[in-house]
Amino acid sequence: MTIFLQATVEGLSLAAIYSLVAIGFVLIYKSMDVLSFAQPALAVVGAGIISSLAVDRGLPFIPALLLAIILTGVLSLIIERTFLRPMVGEPVFSVAVLTIGIDILLRTFLDSWIGINPRYLGDPFPTYGTLGSVNVGGINLKYLEIAALVTAIVLITVLSIFFKRSKYGVAMRATSFDQEAALAQGINVGRIFGLVWFIAGILAAFSGFFMTGGFNTLSQFSFVKALRALPAVVIGGLDSIPGAVVGSIIIGLTQGYVAYYQFQLEGIVGISLGNGFSLLAPYLIMFVILIFKPDGLFGTEEVERV
Amino acid sequence: MRGRPNLYTDYSKESAIFSNNTQKVWFVIVIISAIVFSFFASDYWLLLLTTAFLIAVASWGLNIVSGFAGQINLAHGFFVGIGTYTSAIIGGIATSSVIGYELDMIIWLPLSGIAASIVGLMIAPITVRLKGLNLGLVTLALVFIGSHLFSNFKTVTGGAGLGRKVAKLKLLGVDLESGIQIGTYFLDKNEILYLICLALCIFTGLGVKNLIRTRAGRAYSAIRDGDIAAEAIGINIFRYKSSAFALSSFFGGISGAMFFTVSGGVEPGTFNLLYSIIFVAIVVIGGAGTVLGPLFGAFFYTLFPAFILVAIKALEISEQSLPLNLGQIERILFGLFIILFLIFEPRGLWGIWFRLRNYFKAWPFSY
Repeated sequence: MTIFLQATVEGLSLAAIYSLVAIGFVLIYKSMDVLSFAQPALAVVGAGIISSLAVDRGLPFIPALLLAIILTGVLSLIIERTFLRPMVGEPVFSVAVLTIGIDILLRTFLDSWIGINPRYLGDPFPTYGTLGSVNVGGINLKYLEIAALVTAIVLITVLSIFFKRSKYGVAMRATSFDQEAALAQGINVGRIFGLVWFIAGILAAFSGFFMTGGFNTLSQFSFVKALRALPAVVIGGLDSIPGAVVGSIIIGLTQGYVAYYQFQLEGIVGISLGNGFSLLAPYLIMFVILIFKPDGLFGTEEVERV
Repeated sequence: MRGRPNLYTDYSKESAIFSNNTQKVWFVIVIISAIVFSFFASDYWLLLLTTAFLIAVASWGLNIVSGFAGQINLAHGFFVGIGTYTSAIIGGIATSSVIGYELDMIIWLPLSGIAASIVGLMIAPITVRLKGLNLGLVTLALVFIGSHLFSNFKTVTGGAGLGRKVAKLKLLGVDLESGIQIGTYFLDKNEILYLICLALCIFTGLGVKNLIRTRAGRAYSAIRDGDIAAEAIGINIFRYKSSAFALSSFFGGISGAMFFTVSGGVEPGTFNLLYSIIFVAIVVIGGAGTVLGPLFGAFFYTLFPAFILVAIKALEISEQSLPLNLGQIERILFGLFIILFLIFEPRGLWGIWFRLRNYFKAWPFSY
């Protein structure tokens, strides 16, 4: 039972991290019909900026975190203005490939900066408790994981209030519903696109921090971690924010359980599943779900005109 | 019809592989100069062009499924990997850790393509059901599943980080590894590989050119332009979509088998996401849905690092003084080219070539 709870907690905290990136994906997809492969790279860039400010420049951690998050948002905004603006109305696939190009650019610069040794983010989380964790009834809770969960819940609540209540939130929903009609109502669609990318950048930076904070460290492989938010989005449906959250929970929990129960699972299946199978499990689940529900669990079915 | 090369009096002439004499002449000139090149060039350039030919073969494969049939495939590298390991099993040398049967190239080359296309067909029930971005994402999952399998089947691949030797170069019982003597001329290993890959490239190119004018080729374009409409006029979507995947994987498999035979060894980590993305980028940079495009793209991809090197040498910059190493500069420029081509020239290098050709066709009359 302890192991089960431990796996659940770890899975949920992973889900929190994924859901932040995933919501960014969905926001961009909903408003612009663009699947941005650059999102994982942005998450890692956010972590990189934190590390460079807090460790290399010696800034206190909290200002460094806030500054880095805003800078990542601005970077994301710049990407939208320079590279994606000329591509409005182009085929979905072309734009997706373009974001892959952006991803290659960001990652190459970042990888050369990170170097071979993993980098720390200079956050105080490892110093709390025993090695950054507290033991509650046999379950090892990391402060970083708790922080990730709380932050994700707070951010998601704030965002949903923003979409329901604020002027720009409503404008965003209108834009994602029908661009031309939104334009006709006097909504500045270009500004909405910028805002969406800005928010997505901020969310990516948050998740980047929780992915690489504490003892997790930032390395050239951190990117692969962030990329696992992609199956979460696909499972939930590319255009559904609740879907993104549910998808993230599914992915996070699967990863957590498989990591702890792989041995038993191999006993049932009868074959060795190999090292790091828990990292593969999200993609397998996505594979299976897409076979039965091509638009994801919560996605709206696409109606096509011939 | 002399003097009026653009006048076609019947359909078979217009849809011929070479629709006019100019094309025929240029084709022959290019092939002859490519063959002659092999006798003069240094090993470095030979190897570079050999790689370019093989990448072109793989890109043509991807172009069939993505360019002609319009199905997004981000897992082409996975199929290339299947081909590579098939050839490594059949043609490779067995060691204490990996299996291999040391068979002839005449056996492993086709089989590596066939194995890849069988895998392509196996996933067809899934890929046919999906389209657009969802298909792209499923193939993305395939990349990760593939690299997991590759790094865990240690008896086949040697395991992550270690890798294995690939197939031996033995064609019809002749060992090509040490070169062969033809009359008074001695062909060494690199020249032989160059010529084999050149032949492979020519056959694939002609094959693709031929494919687009067959029934299947027309069906592919119809599916790309509107799959529901295509189904309505009686095209069997399942058959053609899955055959496009199978064909594309076939080319990928063959190219992978040869590619790693040229480079000597293969490590499972090679077939990561970036490896698959490179093929997509080559097709996009070259010009998707054209016959010449992937060839241009492949040459661009293999040759531009060499030109960067030449440029750095010419400008007399020492490699140490650069803020990034060469591989990183290559990757950054590659990423930039993807972005710039998509924004400014969506038809890719082929589009540039097309406009240049049309400009000089009527030169100096620009109207």
